[in-house]
Amino acid sequence: MNIKGSPWKGSLLLLLVSNLLLCQSVAPLPICPGGAARCQVTLRDLFDRAVVLSHYIHNLSSEMFSEFDKRYTHGRGFITKAINSCHTSSLATPEDKEQAQQINQKDFLSLIVSILRSWNEPLYHLVTEVRGMQEAPEAILSKAVEIEEQTKRLLEGMELIVSQVHPETKENEIYPVWSGLSSLQMADEESRLSAYYNLLHCLRRDSHKIDNYLKLLKCRIIHNNNC
Amino acid sequence: MKENVASATVFTLLLFLNTCLLNGQLPPGKPEIFKCRSPNKETFTCWWKPGTDGGLPTNYSLTYHREGETLMHECPDYITGGPNSCHFGKQYTSMWRTYIMMVNATNQMGSSFSDELYVDVTYIVQPDPPLELAVEVKQPEDRKPYLWIKWSPPTLIDLKTGWFTLLYEIRLKPEKAAEWEIHFAGQQTEFKILSLHPGQKYLVQVRCKPDHGYWSAWSPATFIQIPSDFTMNDTTVWISVAVLSAVICLIIVWAVALKGYSMVTCIFPPVPGPKIKGFDAHLLEKGKSEELLSALGCQDFPPTSDYEDLLVEYLEVDDSEDQHLMSVHSKEHPSQGMKPTYLDPDTDSGRGSCDSPSLLSEKCEEPQTNPSTFYDPEVIEKPENPETTHTWDPQCISMEGKIPYFHAGGSKCSTWPLPQPSQHNPRSSYHNITDVCELAVGPAGAPATLLDEAGKDALKSSQTIKSGEEGKATQQREVESFHSETDQDTPWLLPQEKTPFGSAKPLDYVEIHKVNKDGALSLLPKQRENSGQPKKPGTPENNKEYAKVSGVMDNNILVLVSDPHAKNMACFEESAKEGPPSLEQNQAEKALANFPATPSKCRLQLGGLDYLDPACFTHSFH
Repeated sequence: MNIKGSPWKGSLLLLLVSNLLLCQSVAPLPICPGGAARCQVTLRDLFDRAVVLSHYIHNLSSEMFSEFDKRYTHGRGFITKAINSCHTSSLATPEDKEQAQQINQKDFLSLIVSILRSWNEPLYHLVTEVRGMQEAPEAILSKAVEIEEQTKRLLEGMELIVSQVHPETKENEIYPVWSGLSSLQMADEESRLSAYYNLLHCLRRDSHKIDNYLKLLKCRIIHNNNC
Repeated sequence: MKENVASATVFTLLLFLNTCLLNGQLPPGKPEIFKCRSPNKETFTCWWKPGTDGGLPTNYSLTYHREGETLMHECPDYITGGPNSCHFGKQYTSMWRTYIMMVNATNQMGSSFSDELYVDVTYIVQPDPPLELAVEVKQPEDRKPYLWIKWSPPTLIDLKTGWFTLLYEIRLKPEKAAEWEIHFAGQQTEFKILSLHPGQKYLVQVRCKPDHGYWSAWSPATFIQIPSDFTMNDTTVWISVAVLSAVICLIIVWAVALKGYSMVTCIFPPVPGPKIKGFDAHLLEKGKSEELLSALGCQDFPPTSDYEDLLVEYLEVDDSEDQHLMSVHSKEHPSQGMKPTYLDPDTDSGRGSCDSPSLLSEKCEEPQTNPSTFYDPEVIEKPENPETTHTWDPQCISMEGKIPYFHAGGSKCSTWPLPQPSQHNPRSSYHNITDVCELAVGPAGAPATLLDEAGKDALKSSQTIKSGEEGKATQQREVESFHSETDQDTPWLLPQEKTPFGSAKPLDYVEIHKVNKDGALSLLPKQRENSGQPKKPGTPENNKEYAKVSGVMDNNILVLVSDPHAKNMACFEESAKEGPPSLEQNQAEKALANFPATPSKCRLQLGGLDYLDPACFTHSFH
């Protein structure tokens, strides 16, 4: 027994140590502990998790926009300047149920991932700029930070889903680029406020879009359109 | 001229206005779009409020354009939504896109435009109330009865594809109640209510909301009558259980309160106090002590009733020969006699270090500086003095065996000072014993060192702990105090027999069993066994004998003799000063030699503390 025991013990110990080390580097509440490519978490869990995140992100974005508007821009007609200001408008996203049902699953997923990727940089700059503001509004800043964090998690989850549903998909890194940083840093307060308003307005909209799309996809893929 | 022109102009205007007013026709007032709603994210409707119509038939038209488009459209449906509304059908509705719309009111007299309204369908979602609310009382046989509420989602909402997500909420109340009981039901379309008042009529309503949007209106109320036999067995059982346990707790608390002390003592038995065998408290109580003290030069020997002081005073850490037993003379209080210079304040019982054998063993074996703090400075300065035999260890009787140094013969913890082995190290341990077991015997003259308060208190408290030993302790103290007050050269004479000093009686160790009325010490002879067989501490009765101090030798050695009727004699040597070290060394060696044989046998297990009955030891200095 001893002869057999020692290699088993060694491998068990090695496995344990490697697991512990891997677990260290994983974000809290990971879906796939250890970040293994072949995840044993079911697709259903992945989608449930993604929906929860997208729902949460939109709630935060909505609150952040409301607070910003109430505090800085209410009744000043900034909405008029927010028309056509979103950098993701170039993406051909479905705008009603019929269009959404016509788009195929793979493209739909790629679309969602593109939108999420395109928001990495704006969110980063939003956090940086708000943080650098004099009298940075704490409520808005905290939400921005949280949104940035959760969007990253959601993107990871989406990439996992894609790898499970369409493993042959090659990475398509094309996404709309945001170029509003200079607007956020403008000296003129009106222009600067307008830039922030537009950014938050677009964020609110896009986060709702992603949430709706994911709920559609979840019912389509997991429940076979029978939610 | 000018005035005529001006007045003519005014007149014309007024005339025109008059005509208009008489007709009651004005251009329409400014309309306002006040609400837009989408019940399913597939269509939406907007309503406006017309302004004044100016008395003429007014046409309203709604025009809009969408974000990203320049083309203006007109409202596709003015009917479906009712008057002053515009309904947008599926093909006209787009999500995530801003609509810019405006209402135009026109009549004969003119037209007016409303303000532009920016509408995004995404944020105006409000569904209709749920339908088919069904409420039923269900009473399964082997389970608790409950209220079963069921409903269906409003029509035209697409839940199956996931385009729309609904969350529900129900509320109910007894008919006459003022407050509603609200329950959130999530995405499910049924609900169970378990806690209800039997015999009441309930109202139930339900409403819903999209995942991001507004709550719908409450559905129409449904009434349900709860039958009177809707029992709440669970509640009754739990209430009776709670009451019963509360009663039991109260009883336990009461019992604990009444007998708290005895229970505590049961759980945490008090540390037993030191036993002083052979110490007869009664002896000390009587007048003999006074006589002895007066002989020693002390006045106002502490009143017999004040044993605490005696003991406290008596215990003195005294290292130096001059001062051993000192503390005897405290200037203020002869009655206080000697105050022990040192008492270990750390003992739980507040007794001296010797009080607790374990402590004694620890302290007596290690060179400690602690005791020295209590020392009279003079005493401390003479740590080398091995002759400080005044280490009268009141506890010696019950000392544990780990005191090799302690008794060269110290096996008998007697109240009499014993020669201390000079080579014993560490000196401080030696001192400890002296401290604790301070003997009054011997060289008086050393200034008495007063016990500090701590020591005193400790001693006193130790007294209380020694419930069974108080008598003996008291006597012991008395005896000690006797000794402490002894002048150097004052022979210690017992009121009774005197034994000439230097009688060639073999020096034997006895243990003080008690002190009898006359102040004579009742001593137990040490069994002369070289093997050092333990002597049971519990058999003092057999060996009751009286011993008296026959005298004090030059070296402050107390010579004890037994009573005439007693056969055994004990002779204690005590040297307050440096006696012949060699002799003592020899004795010490002997003691040491004897010692190891005895401890194990002599141990008394008392409450976890090891008590060694010195009586067990046979130390022979012969």
